[in-house]
Amino acid sequence: MTMNENPNIPDEVRAVAADGTQLRYALMEMAGQMDDIITLGRGDPDLPTPPHIVEAANQAMREGRTGLTPVKGLPQLRGAIADHMREYNGLPVGAENVMVTTGGQEGLFLAIQALIDPGDEILVPDPRYTSYDDAIRRAGGKMVMVSTDREDAFNLEAEAVEAAITPASKALLIVTPSNPTAGIVTEDRLRAIADVCIRHNLIVIVDEIYGRIVYEPWRHFSIGSLPGMAERTITLDAFSKAYAMTGWRCGYVAAPENVIDAMARVKQVTTGPVATVSQWAGLAALAGPQDCVSDYLKIYTKRRAVLLDGLDRMGFAYGEPRGGLFVWADSSSTGIHAAELSYLLLKEGRVLIFPGTAFGENWREYVRITLLEPIETLKEAVERMLPVLARYRA
Amino acid sequence: MQSPQTLSSPLAERVAALDDLCSPRTGDPDVPANVIEAAVAALARGETHYTDRPGIPEFRAWVADHLRERYAVVVDPAEVTITCGSTEARFVTMTLLAEAGGAVLCPGDSSRIRGALHILGAEIIDSIREDISLLYISPDVYRETSIELLQHAEETDWWIVYDLSFAKTAPPFHPAQNERLASRVVTIDSLSAALPGWRLGWMAGSAAALRLRAGKQAITICTTAVSQWAGLEWVRTAT
Repeated sequence: MTMNENPNIPDEVRAVAADGTQLRYALMEMAGQMDDIITLGRGDPDLPTPPHIVEAANQAMREGRTGLTPVKGLPQLRGAIADHMREYNGLPVGAENVMVTTGGQEGLFLAIQALIDPGDEILVPDPRYTSYDDAIRRAGGKMVMVSTDREDAFNLEAEAVEAAITPASKALLIVTPSNPTAGIVTEDRLRAIADVCIRHNLIVIVDEIYGRIVYEPWRHFSIGSLPGMAERTITLDAFSKAYAMTGWRCGYVAAPENVIDAMARVKQVTTGPVATVSQWAGLAALAGPQDCVSDYLKIYTKRRAVLLDGLDRMGFAYGEPRGGLFVWADSSSTGIHAAELSYLLLKEGRVLIFPGTAFGENWREYVRITLLEPIETLKEAVERMLPVLARYRA
Repeated sequence: MQSPQTLSSPLAERVAALDDLCSPRTGDPDVPANVIEAAVAALARGETHYTDRPGIPEFRAWVADHLRERYAVVVDPAEVTITCGSTEARFVTMTLLAEAGGAVLCPGDSSRIRGALHILGAEIIDSIREDISLLYISPDVYRETSIELLQHAEETDWWIVYDLSFAKTAPPFHPAQNERLASRVVTIDSLSAALPGWRLGWMAGSAAALRLRAGKQAITICTTAVSQWAGLEWVRTAT
């Protein structure tokens, strides 16, 4: 039975099922109208923005430091970002290679607008963060999928990238750690991928927004730090996840200076500068103590163990989640289409998770579940999901 | 380490004709203490997460009330999206409602929409012709000119974007007062004059409201939470 024929799926879900982003929002809006829902859907950390960052924002506001900034961002923040990306990511960048963006998502939008012409192909690992589809579509770009799989923990293979290259290929988009798979692209793979990109003159756009959330023994690695890559790599990041600052809408991008200049000219007509108070908060995040990042990682590590135990009890297989704030689980043992399963778990179990089809058309037997509730709530979510699964399991 | 200076592959063609960067304007207005304290209080409440993607409900309700009280224009709060300044509202409306390869009729100052329409690939014109998909007007355009064009618009399927964000004075005239046009009118406004660095604007109304909301979300997801709470306090106490 196809999803369109399935009577268990309501019209409001079916109507947007082909658009991953809209499907996610349709489920969130349904959940918002229901009581006592455990939301393991959206990637919005439940933890607070650390107090020293909030205090820095308060101080900036009370001292009147709220006027417009240059489009590329506060010079002090651009300098601090460059320092951070040199020291943490190993990128050979100065402040001239950095721009502040309205969250990581705008960084991707601006990069695509600055680089992609109609007909250009962008290689995208599958599954993908479908919120980026719109930016690529608007620029007239064409996504070409590069497959990844569970047995390889959704790592990306250079051979698969190279096999997807055509004369129209312009760029490779990597999200590591990945949303939705929680896989990372490991250093050895990135070295091989970098060779491919140099040989085929590909641009690399890499989203590292979850780069500070990587679980032991794995390590984050930035492809832009490799020889010959800085001049062809656009690195996107944001304060949103590592510092629990989603609502501040403050991200950043590092790239060759001519790309930064081009992106800034697009940004000038797209959104203008980032809210000034958010930029002062971002500066405090980078300049202040980093214990909050490691403390939050410890919390996520414990939650991850609880959720993986729950997945084992539910009979869901998964690739090792090596980073990020999700688990990406194979729900095929239920015999139920992921969109229907998500709807049933919401309606009858009062737990919001996202179907795999929200992250790629081929993922109808996968679900994405976030770690963004306290441990006791995660345990409760598992207890709520188990009887629903037992009721409907084929 | 050597900084990377240039990209080995060419930039997109659309970037070439975009304007150089402007310097930020100086002389930002003082922000009232109650607005600052509202922002501080919002942060203390933990308003540091994504907001609803169209914006906080209280602000959207105020926009709907404002349009009804000031212009006698009825807009449902669900048709209001809070944006990162009027810049984002203009970019989203121009690139989603105008047609690539077509024309946008702009009888007044077109400088604020030029970049977005260049990126889209649409032409700006100042007189009527066949391939117009959108009419962009503001209160700065002579009222007689606006009325004449809006009368013509009744016989077309043009989208109409009414931009109040830079109007020094806004008369009670509004194109959505015409029932034959109302479902095609998007109103843009902002707090850029009072709170420029907070990046707050909005787009309201029209049958395309949900599409515009999705378009904004694809760029910035939502507008800065603390800015929205500051803006809400400003509109409640200073207008």
